Parts: sequence; C-alpha cells; structure tokens
Amino acid sequence: MSGAVVRAAGLSKRFGPLAALQPLDLTLAPGETLALLGPNGAGKTTLLRLLAGLARPSAGALAIGAEGASGPARRGAVGLVAHATFLYAQLTARENLVLTAKLYGVAQPAARAAALIAAHELTPVAERAVGELSRGWAQRVSIARALVHEPRLLLLDEPFSGLDPGAAERLAERLAAQRGGERAAVLVTHELARAVQLATRALVLVRGRARELAAAALASPAALEAAYRDAVAALEAAR
Amino acid sequence: MTAWKRATALLLALLGASWAWAVWNAPLDSVQGVIQKILYVHPPLAFATYAGFIGAALAGALFLARGGERFDRFAAASAEVGVVFGTLMLITGPIWAKGTWGKWWTWDPRLTVTLLLYLTYVAYLLLRSFTEGSERAARFAAVYAILGSALIPLNYYAIELFGNRALHPDNLQRGSLGEGMGLPFALGVFATLAAFAFLLVRRFELGELRAARAEQRANGAQQESA
Amino acid sequence: MSALLAVLWKDLAIEWRSRDRFAAMLVFSLLVVLVLYFAAPPSLDASRNAHVPGLLWVAYVFAGVLGMNRAFAAELENDALSALALAPADRGFLFLGKAAASFLVLAAVQALGAVFFALAFSLELWPVAPQLALVAGLGGLGIACAGTLLAAISVRTRYREVMLPLLLLPLLVPVLLGAVRATTQLLATGSLPWPPLQLLIVADAVYAIVAFLCFEYVLDE
Repeated sequence: MSGAVVRAAGLSKRFGPLAALQPLDLTLAPGETLALLGPNGAGKTTLLRLLAGLARPSAGALAIGAEGASGPARRGAVGLVAHATFLYAQLTARENLVLTAKLYGVAQPAARAAALIAAHELTPVAERAVGELSRGWAQRVSIARALVHEPRLLLLDEPFSGLDPGAAERLAERLAAQRGGERAAVLVTHELARAVQLATRALVLVRGRARELAAAALASPAALEAAYRDAVAALEAAR
Repeated sequence: MTAWKRATALLLALLGASWAWAVWNAPLDSVQGVIQKILYVHPPLAFATYAGFIGAALAGALFLARGGERFDRFAAASAEVGVVFGTLMLITGPIWAKGTWGKWWTWDPRLTVTLLLYLTYVAYLLLRSFTEGSERAARFAAVYAILGSALIPLNYYAIELFGNRALHPDNLQRGSLGEGMGLPFALGVFATLAAFAFLLVRRFELGELRAARAEQRANGAQQESA
Repeated sequence: MSALLAVLWKDLAIEWRSRDRFAAMLVFSLLVVLVLYFAAPPSLDASRNAHVPGLLWVAYVFAGVLGMNRAFAAELENDALSALALAPADRGFLFLGKAAASFLVLAAVQALGAVFFALAFSLELWPVAPQLALVAGLGGLGIACAGTLLAAISVRTRYREVMLPLLLLPLLVPVLLGAVRATTQLLATGSLPWPPLQLLIVADAVYAIVAFLCFEYVLDE
C-alpha cells in the first residue's frame, strides 16, 4: 500500500537478552484505527514508543508518513498521548501548547494554541499552571498537545484514564470522526467496548508476540472478548 | 582453551620471560641505581592504559554510528582492562618516585592529569553499572567515553600551555635511555601491549559468553512460564 | 533554530516562576565557600588572596553541578524529557537551548557570587569587571555545555544526584584550570593573560561540539 501511514517490517525490540517485541509487520492505511490489546507487560507500550520514535528498534524497518522519512521528519508525523502528560507543571496550559507548537515548527504557534483551546474546550484552565490541574484536565491538555501539529499518526496509550464520562465521550467522538480521514491511529486500551466503538482493526500482543484479530471480532464487545481470549490463549501456547 | 589460545599464551609467557631476562641484564643506572629498572615496566603500562581508554572511546563511537552490541561489549572490555593496567601504572609509578624523588606522589602536572583520566574511566565503569537497560547503558557509556577521550588532548594541551614545570620525564625521550637500555625497554613495550591485547580479547570473549548465556536463560524462562 | 529559542524560553520561564534553582545554586555555592574557609582559613598576610580565585571557581563549579541536576529534574516531571525527544527538531538545537538557559542562570549566580566575594575579601573587582565577566562567561560556558550533556545522562541513572558530579568534575578540570589561572592573574596584574583564555576557548569548543553531536543519542529512552 503506497499511501500507508505506517509501514513496519520485522520491527523488534530487545532489552539485553529479553525480547520486548518479537519481529512485527504492520501496515496502517489513512483512516484506520488499530486497537492494541493485551495483558500488562505484553509490550504494548514498547510498540507505541517504537512507533513514536522514542525508542530505537533493535531490528527491522519503520516508515511513518512520507516515504523514506527518518529521524526528525518521522517523529514530526506522530502525536503521542502517553501515561505521563508530557506537560511542564510550572507552565500554563496555553504556554504548554504554544511551546509544543514551536517545537514542532507549526506556523503561528499562538494562534494554533488558541484554536486548540477552543476546540478542546480548555478555556477554563488555559491560563492556569498545569501543576494545579486535576488529572482529568491535564489529560485533556495532553491530548490537545498531541494534536498540535496535525500528526498523520496518533498514538494513544489508555487515553480515557482519568477522564470524566463527558470528556471521555467527547474524545471518543473526536476519534470516531477521524476515521476515514487522512490520519491513522493506534489505541492502547483495556476497555473492549471502546475498541469496538473506535477501532477498525485489532491487534493482540502477548509477551512481545502479536496476532491480528479478524475484522468480525470488532462487531460487538462480546465477539471481541471471545476473539481476544482465543488469541491470548493461542499466543500463550505458542512456543 | 583452544589451540591458538594456548599458543598465544605460550608466546606471551616467552615474551615476558625474555623481557625479564633483558631487564635483569640491563646495566645499572649510574644515578638512580636499581630503582630505575621500574622504568622498563611503568611507561609500557601507561601506553596500555591509554590504549584501553582510546579503544573504549573508538568502540563507543562505532556503537553509536553502526549499532551492534558487540561494539559495546568491546568498549566495556577495553575500559576495564585499561583500568587494570592503569592501576598497575599507578602502583609502579610511586614506587619509582619514592626511590628517585624521595616521595610517593607529587602534584606534577603529568601525574595529576593521568590520575584524572584514570578516575574518569573509573567513573565510566560506574556509569555502566548504574544504568539500567543495556541498550541505553551502552549509548550513555559511549557518549561519556567520547567526551572523556577529549580530555586526553585537552590535558596535554594545558600542560603545554602552562610551561614545563613537570618533574615527570618526557614519555618518549629516547635520549634518556642509556647504553643497553633500549632493548629491554622495547621488549617491555611489546610484551605489555601483547599482554594487554591478550587480556582484552579474553575479556571481550567473556562478555560474549555472558550475553549468550543471559539470552539462553531468558529463553528458558520464557519457555518455562509459557 | 526556533526549537532552540522555544527550549530556552521555556527553561527561563520555569526558572523565573519558582526561582528555586537560582536560590539553591547561590546558597549552596556560598556554603561551599564557607565550609572551605573553615577547613583552611586563609592567613591574614598578603598571600591570603592567592586562594580566592580558586575558592571562587569552586563555588561556581558546585553551583553549576547543582543547577544542571535541577535543570533535568524538571524534565523528569510528567516525563517531559520524552516530549523533548519526540520533537521533530534537530536535537543538537534542543541541547543548545537547554545549555543556553543553564548558562544564563549560572551567569546570574556568578555575578552575585562575585559581588559577595568582593565584599568578603575586600577585592577591587569593579575596575576589572569586564575582563572578569569574560573569564566567568567562558568558564560558565564549559560548565553548561559538558554539564547539560552529562546531566541528561545522569538523571536517568541510579543515584543520579551522585552520578553527575562523578561524571562532570573530572571533565571540568581543564576549564577550571584555565579559569582559575586567568582569574588569578587578572586580580594580581589587572590584565588578562592569553594562554589560560586559549585553554578555556579550546575546552569550550570541544565540549560544545561533542555535546551538540552526542545529544541525539542521549535523548532516546
């Protein structure tokens, strides 16, 4: 697929003798959302950090966005929402967004930050230091932060944690709206209902080994749960 | 031990023996007496020390440029063996100094600078042991070794700039070697560097074996729990 | 380039809001001097001032070590260091931004420290202030360049507060040597000698270039 957002071939990561991720082939087209499922310590976060360009793969090839993009250009195509908010506690929400816009070379950083604050309904906290914000508000700022540069690939590590139901619903709507657009997304979540709601594909990781589920698995939470259990069992049994 | 290792070890022993013989038969220094014979040991140790440190920096640079854990294991081996030779150098030096200058240590620029470099590489080994995650440890160590190796020319530049109030004899002043002292000295350099290379290779192999065994164990653990 | 300015602005803004790094550096450096003073009180004869440049630079170096540790401790909160690593900017410029911020904070500490020294040891620093500023700046640059690279390493090791001085102090010896010699001669003769400045400039250049190139490898997790 030439227009793919993510093209990974044989991507793997080892920490010393431990294989955190076994060689993985993955292609994501624009508009696709991949749900990444698996028990704790399965390598989900490792895969996300590899895709983000935070960690170096031990082997394999990875292209994101434009063909042949590497280093800074590849990092610029990715937005990451991780467990940590990536925000400076002493700076206000607006200052954090402006700083990120500058780091990503966005034209008119102040205007971009203002637009994000409006779009993500952050006006009540825009001028407050992030350190004073609740976990939920900080998470919302963090999500806006990841979108500052309109990334081709959005990586979300448990983005719903800490959000109140209303904010979670609006985030879900936002993610659903980008399906079929230019952007691709990878969503790590334990909530199978969210995966069914948002994902177009699902990948199960167990101890660094991956298996993609059939499209039919995303028909309903019950179907996904059954398929997920089978996949985990099969991956556990392998080797 | 494989055959070639036995052969190199034998060669090394022969080399050491002939060096000892040459040192034994070298003429006594008219001024310093028998203590001067340490100079057949001490400068070669210093050369080996520097070789170890520079080797660590070069291997580190290769690791950063190319990747590959073997470069990192080589860097670790090189720094470790370098520190061992450095320790011997720092033991033999004061013995000679006590005999010749009458005191174990002086704050001579060359001595101070060498001690400083030695401590830098001890810090390098500490950094290696204080960093978790082998890939990151390797990267950090490589960066530090490169920065540390920049200290060698900087220090000698500083000595140059501030004039030679150095007590320490110049390293490569051939004139300082009297009649009949050239051969044992050359043998010493050769034997010491050969011993250095031998230990370096053995230490590197040890690292390879350790890595292989750790991998085996990890695979075994995975199999057991699966 | 814009990334450099963004990081510089960010670090200075954070510093300005709490000023705790600045205060800690200043107080700590003065305490170091007091401890050294009590350990070896300079005698009251003319040779008394001979130790002052050394004391001054010991204070600057310890202030620098403390400052570098703090500069990266702030990046660990909320894992902002990873956010920097994610930025598509050339990481060398991120390094320059952080080093420039640390340099400016250190320069402010150095200025206040010099005033304190002038009062405590009745030194006539005002007539040689421009030359002293040059020496302090060159020395501070070396501390900031080597310190920023090594602090980025040491914050992610065990015993990180111990690790930074262990890694940094041996590398600062050429900088310290040049700076102390230059300061000594400046205070004694009122003019700057060239050789120590030469050493400072070369050491600064070496550390700046190595750190600029190596920061790429340090920022990855």
